[in-house]
Amino acid sequence: MNPINRRVRWAALGASLLVAAVFVQLNYIQVFHASALNNNTLNTRNIIQQYSEQRGAIISADGVTLAQSIPSNDQYKYQRVYPEGALFGQITGYDSLTYGTDGLEREYNSVLTQPTTKIPSNFHQLEKFFTTQPAPDNLHITVLASLQKLAQQELAGRDGAVVAISPKTGAVLAMYSNPTYDPSPLASHNSSTEQSAWEALQSDPGSPLVAAAYRQRFFPGSTFKVITAAAVYDHDPKLAARDFPVSSGLVLPDTSGQVLHNFAGEACGGQMLELFTVSCDTGFAQLGLGVGGNALAEEAKDFGWDQPVPLDLPGVAESYFPPASSFYRNGAALAKSAIGQESVQAVPLTLALDAAGIANKGVIMTPHLMQGVTGSQGQVVETYKPKAWLRATSRATAAKLTTLMLSVVNSPDGTGAAARIPGVEVAGKTGTAQTGGPNIETWFVAFAPAQDPTIAVCVLVENQPPSDEYQGGTIAAPIARTIIESYLSTEMGGRP
Amino acid sequence: MSVLAQKAPARGFDEDGAAPTSLPLPARRRAELGMMGLVFVLVTGLYILSGLGASGSVPKHTPEFAVVCILLLTVAHLAMRRLAPLASPVLLPLAALLNGMGYVFISHLDAGEASNQLVWTVVSLGCFVAILAFFPRAIDFERYRYLIALVGIVLLLLPLAPHIGEDINGARLWVHAGPLSFQPEEFAKIALAIFFASVLAERADLLATGTRRIGRWLVLDPRYLAPLVGAWGLSLLILLAENDLGSSFLFFTLLVCLLWVATGRSAYLGLGAGLFGGAAVFALEVVHHAQTRVQAWLHPWAHFDTSGYQIIVGWFALAAGGMWGLGPGQGNAQVIPEASTDFIFASIGEQIGLVGLTAILAAYLLMMGSGLHAAVRARTSFSKLLATGLSILLAVQVFVVAGGITRIIPVTGITLPFVSYGGSSLVSNYVLLAILLRISNDSANVPARESAAALSPAWDTEVNGAPSTSPAVVGGDL
Repeated sequence: MNPINRRVRWAALGASLLVAAVFVQLNYIQVFHASALNNNTLNTRNIIQQYSEQRGAIISADGVTLAQSIPSNDQYKYQRVYPEGALFGQITGYDSLTYGTDGLEREYNSVLTQPTTKIPSNFHQLEKFFTTQPAPDNLHITVLASLQKLAQQELAGRDGAVVAISPKTGAVLAMYSNPTYDPSPLASHNSSTEQSAWEALQSDPGSPLVAAAYRQRFFPGSTFKVITAAAVYDHDPKLAARDFPVSSGLVLPDTSGQVLHNFAGEACGGQMLELFTVSCDTGFAQLGLGVGGNALAEEAKDFGWDQPVPLDLPGVAESYFPPASSFYRNGAALAKSAIGQESVQAVPLTLALDAAGIANKGVIMTPHLMQGVTGSQGQVVETYKPKAWLRATSRATAAKLTTLMLSVVNSPDGTGAAARIPGVEVAGKTGTAQTGGPNIETWFVAFAPAQDPTIAVCVLVENQPPSDEYQGGTIAAPIARTIIESYLSTEMGGRP
Repeated sequence: MSVLAQKAPARGFDEDGAAPTSLPLPARRRAELGMMGLVFVLVTGLYILSGLGASGSVPKHTPEFAVVCILLLTVAHLAMRRLAPLASPVLLPLAALLNGMGYVFISHLDAGEASNQLVWTVVSLGCFVAILAFFPRAIDFERYRYLIALVGIVLLLLPLAPHIGEDINGARLWVHAGPLSFQPEEFAKIALAIFFASVLAERADLLATGTRRIGRWLVLDPRYLAPLVGAWGLSLLILLAENDLGSSFLFFTLLVCLLWVATGRSAYLGLGAGLFGGAAVFALEVVHHAQTRVQAWLHPWAHFDTSGYQIIVGWFALAAGGMWGLGPGQGNAQVIPEASTDFIFASIGEQIGLVGLTAILAAYLLMMGSGLHAAVRARTSFSKLLATGLSILLAVQVFVVAGGITRIIPVTGITLPFVSYGGSSLVSNYVLLAILLRISNDSANVPARESAAALSPAWDTEVNGAPSTSPAVVGGDL
């Protein structure tokens, strides 16, 4: 028996070595090479793991749930739903397995996935404490769902944007654009649903994923005159007192006789107040030429142009004013830039912030959507503290600009008469911009009540036909009025 | 069969009744009882933890689970006390532990499969008891060896039959009979092991030295090798026809290993390696299935979307588990293809980490060790070879499964014994276990001086201390 037994022992050794080889290889896979494997780009476990966690809810200022995770019976355990769909789509963004996150879902991803747990105080809580699925925190935002809905109704399907901000705190009260999108299909667990929705959104010529309100730029037209006026007050106040001759056209310098005409061929002139009230292009072109490119560029910068805007969303666009050097020997460009044409490009968010800055005595507050964070047990985890962003201009200039803007609304020949609200002092500025194409953009920026403003608004309605009845004052101003009226009536308890 | 009519007394109690029946039960069974208790605690604990990990609460069927666990463990233990009281106390608890753990991990993946597995566990336990009951002595396995071999071959052929055979994942391994489906090769393995062990036990000498002359050289007489090579070659051909490469490897290893252990000629090892190499090359050229598998083994990342996907996802799961695992019931094991069968090792590794997997590997090594210990202590060549063959089969099967997952060798469609989901796998492994325990029980009666080369575990002392009053060994060679 011995020889056989000996060989049996050898066989045992051989088999043990084979198993030991497995052990060695497992060490490699699970220990030494593990982090490389875990971080491998093909490894979707982390993504699936993140995706299968419960996310906190996003809730509007008036308590409407905008995004939440409901339990689902598949491997991802939770389904993200967006009850308000496209109304808030560009604010909430989406949480997609394949396409990642956008909007608030991205910006506040860590808040929505990190829980703040209380120390367990009884047995059931203790049981929950040992599992890894405590409920995450919820994000409360400043936007009012009622105001957002009103903005949607007022735009009535037309391309454009409405941005409303609280001047004293920088809180975004409404921010809506057309076209928009419903993020729900992007959060689907079915990858073909997800994919076809994504492709549809990508190929949509209106680019709904690129919100007009904060991600796109448009010619601001006459709304830029607010900045030009501020530049005059801040850099060359004597120009404000200059009386410009009444005319319907201005020969542009540095050109071979090109003429800049006023809107609808009107003739206008006078001092700053008159020019501003009727939105006189020839007058402001001369003001721009007078104050110079440097002043205009600087003023734009002071008003938050040409720099990142600290709104708590990803992908916020910057407004663009050309550098002063581009106006060298190109007075025509300067003239046109002073009236918000040529290469000037504004993001509706920036214009709303500019109005808010003027409303807030020259200080632009940091715009924000976050109002606070609450834990799963309802406790307050964090509250946003408003802070100043830019000192756009001095109190004095802001007051003078306010006077100008009040005149636009209140004066009989003001372009913004449609924004009048009985019993409320509304200050605003219209804008009607050429785009280089057949259609025009219509704008209205405003704030109210002028003596102690609580809301600043920017309304843009795009692609309007190029005929006289379509202007900022007739198309955009009424929308702004409705928004302001609605907000003031809820905020101040019924005062119209 | 006259087995039932002539009920042999349980080993260790003299046929004449010389040893009093009121002797305390052997220490082995007490040790086994203790270990069964430990297995109960471990498996039930794992079940509770798995439920906690998956859903954050204690699973609601825990009491039923505990009761079923206790029932099964008790039945198995009582069967052992009655039918094989001197056998190694380690084998059954280890198998029960692996079976229980496998059940918990499967239940996390798929509740339907889990209940099937439970049914199969009960069936396997029945087969286990039946084998122990119907084969009271190891020599009984040898009786119908040609019949057994024939049954083995027929079983292997079944999947090739037109209506009842089934092609799954490129390999034709399965047989459907009404609602049941099973893999015959699992049983064929055991049948052929019995056959090989039996033939080799008889002819070891003849196969060790040459008896024919060709010119100057003394070569092996092919007559003696014939039944072996015949059976083996036939099985291999059938397996290749079915594209079952993993089982081909196992059968091959079984024969080569047994040949070498029986005869001591290392030439067999060399020849075996050479033949295997040749067959592998041939398979690669001709068998498309094999080519895909080898490509996936060598370059899984290049074939991430297709054949490499399973391995890569398995690796990600293992890496996510790391040293200690993500915890039972957690992680994303369900994304691994075949997570409950071929790749259950990866899903376990994700949940209980390297530490857990090492424990499982150690369990298998201990089972193999226990089987080989029984082999060493066995008195007949047949028992030795059979025990060796089965133990090596177990360990090599574990290597093939785990080696495929860890990319030491290409992936094959083999299951992890006792742990993987699968009726035929479970039943055949319990049959294997029963045979090992029967041999272990036989060899436990060997007095100390006769088993000079035996390892000496602590629990052996009581049996060895008592003077041997065993009846004469039945038949067989010494």
